[in-house]
Amino acid sequence: MKWTRTRAASALAVGTASALVLSACGDGGESPSVSHEPVTITVAYWGNFGFTEEAEGASLESVYEAAHPWVTLEMNTGEYGAQHDALTQALIAGSGAATVSAVDEGYITGFVAQAENFVNLLDLGAGQYKENYLGWKWDQAANADGTVVIGLGSDVGGMAMCYRADLFENAGLDNDRDAVSAAIGASWDDFISVGEEYVAATGKFFVDNATNILNPALTQLGTGYAYYDRNNDLDMNSVKPAFDIAIDVIDAGLSAGIGAWSPEWNAGFANGDFAVLACPAWMLGYIQGQISAEEFTGQWDIADIPGDGGNWGGSFYTIPKQGTANLQQEAYDFIEWIIQPDQQLKIMKETGNLPSQKSILESDAVSEFTNEFFNNAPYGEIFAKTVIDIPAAIYYAPNNGAIRTAVETVLNDVQAGNTPLADAWDAAVEAAQAADA
Amino acid sequence: MSAKSVTAKAAATTDAGDDAKAVQSTLWARFDHVVVPYILVSPFFLLFFVFGIFPIVYSGLIAFKTFRNENPAHRDGSSINVITRDRWIGFENFDNVLHDDFFWQALLNTFGIFLLSTIPQLFLALLLASLLNRKLRATLFYRVGILLPYVTPIVASSIVFVTFFSRDYGQANWLLSLFGVESTYGADQRIIDGLDWQSSWWTSWLAISIMVNWKWTAYNALLYLSAMQSIPKDVYEAAALDGASPWRQLWSITVPMIRPMVIFTVVLSTIGGLQLFAEPVQFDTNPATGNGGNQHQWRTVSQLIWKYGWIDDRFGHSGAMSWVLFIIVVMFAALNAFLTSKLGGGKR
Repeated sequence: MKWTRTRAASALAVGTASALVLSACGDGGESPSVSHEPVTITVAYWGNFGFTEEAEGASLESVYEAAHPWVTLEMNTGEYGAQHDALTQALIAGSGAATVSAVDEGYITGFVAQAENFVNLLDLGAGQYKENYLGWKWDQAANADGTVVIGLGSDVGGMAMCYRADLFENAGLDNDRDAVSAAIGASWDDFISVGEEYVAATGKFFVDNATNILNPALTQLGTGYAYYDRNNDLDMNSVKPAFDIAIDVIDAGLSAGIGAWSPEWNAGFANGDFAVLACPAWMLGYIQGQISAEEFTGQWDIADIPGDGGNWGGSFYTIPKQGTANLQQEAYDFIEWIIQPDQQLKIMKETGNLPSQKSILESDAVSEFTNEFFNNAPYGEIFAKTVIDIPAAIYYAPNNGAIRTAVETVLNDVQAGNTPLADAWDAAVEAAQAADA
Repeated sequence: MSAKSVTAKAAATTDAGDDAKAVQSTLWARFDHVVVPYILVSPFFLLFFVFGIFPIVYSGLIAFKTFRNENPAHRDGSSINVITRDRWIGFENFDNVLHDDFFWQALLNTFGIFLLSTIPQLFLALLLASLLNRKLRATLFYRVGILLPYVTPIVASSIVFVTFFSRDYGQANWLLSLFGVESTYGADQRIIDGLDWQSSWWTSWLAISIMVNWKWTAYNALLYLSAMQSIPKDVYEAAALDGASPWRQLWSITVPMIRPMVIFTVVLSTIGGLQLFAEPVQFDTNPATGNGGNQHQWRTVSQLIWKYGWIDDRFGHSGAMSWVLFIIVVMFAALNAFLTSKLGGGKR
């Protein structure tokens, strides 16, 4: 999935995007008359960071290249876990990391612990943005005393519940956004009762997969961490309430048991194999990518997540300390450009990713933004409130990813009918302990 | 090159007056004869060294070391992400491999899938080859046509097969539903058309075996066919006169006479089958997890080696397991070669 945008293509993009460039350059764009060494900045990410969307006539990277003719951007996209594994290995090897490496919040702790392998962004002047960011988001990429910051936030994962308004109507349920929020928003028990009504009326499944109930529920535990406590000791007992919610959903017969991110899951968005999906903001872009806009605009809608608001996912841009100082500076210039409000809002409108800067979240541009595809849902109103008042981020220990995979695997096995519901918890603990070794 | 050196020599003898030039020429000639051949063959050996010898030796070295990525900030909250690779620990990694339940499970899976794929594959290849060895119309078309699966990239074909075997919209389940095949699925024992191919060991082994067979049957068939074409026709004519059926001819004439090729394919399939990787990896819902199923019911040893090495960063464990697999493959390939040599009552 590697591709390079050529100079020629960039030059073509200039015309259509010039207005954006002029407003975007601000402090980041230097006059091309100053001589610069040609540099190639590689950017490693997964999913949808808004880079290769072509809306408004020009992708973000071609706009940047047009304004900075000495820069070639090479986008390197891959699978979520694999990208983080590759970064870990490149840091051990001492070379081969992407110039700008995106890191998810689920992995950031492990990389902050080896901050000496990253450029301290405070040294390059990132400190001026501290006040803009959500406090907990900024702290996630900083060391304990805040003197080292390895990443600047891209997005946060404010949570909501996406639902198929048309399928709700077919099932005889009230499909109005506020009514759905009122019916499911208070607790997961309410959510399950609504689901039971839906299944009874339609004979179809309500939820895609119990793993997508477990993960948001993990962020609502109130312990402030998932799986590992802050001493990095595995603490499965504290996870049990969230796991039980997922088991209840399976027990009530709500889950279709379709593996998340699989081709069948992708097909399920259009085929109505499930009627709801826990939606961190970054999920919106994924949903839109699976179904045709002509057919499905307005059929998916967004309601409140059951229980408390919270944050699931969201990422950072980091600069591994590899390559020349000049390259690192160029990489920082790119990051500084991408976190400016113009670019953040463009990404938000195209992908649904929720900006992680409080100053942007509280602006009218976000609070007044409605998402046309999702039945003109008041995007800003729904998502911003779930992340602004969070006191601290959930702590994810360095080995979190391995435990998460192990526990999700057990849930999938329960849904396939191979592990009895009664044995699910013991199996999850056993799998987590095996992955902890 | 030698032509060039001859002309160089000729030039040297005719122009004897110029000593310096002559010395230069003989030097060049010597260089040309002694060094250039090595330069010409060196690309192969360089690649073979980098991708063949080096990994074998290096994995052998790290198998005896604590070569793993210590988890950053693990437990004491202060440690740094370092890879510990200096300490020799003898056979500890091998000991761990032999006490690793996942390894034994993966070995069982590997042999299960190997048996399900290799045996039908070679029999089918034999039948296919004997059919193609007859006088048919458009022989070339068939001979080239059956090779198509072999030239299809393995990842591409695996992705198609994953869709083919998927639970809700797979063509395999659609085919089964035509015959009224149903099975129960999930905690609530609901009934689905066909099978959930990924959920149990035997369905997943079967699905992966079908992928493997599809890819390699024709390749083996062509190898058999090339061997069959060197069998004199009069042997068959004599057998036919004696009233031997085509089936009898296949087993009493063809197979014994192509025995070296059969041994070759059995050894090759054994090596390939026990190192099976791409198909089981692609069969996972998310290939990057290295799960091989929710209960790891189709995870092969190669897949497990890859998971330990590249997902868990436990390179020592991974290297030791590679060597254990290597030894198993060598032993088993030798055993199969021996057994095959007895095929058709042959003596060696």
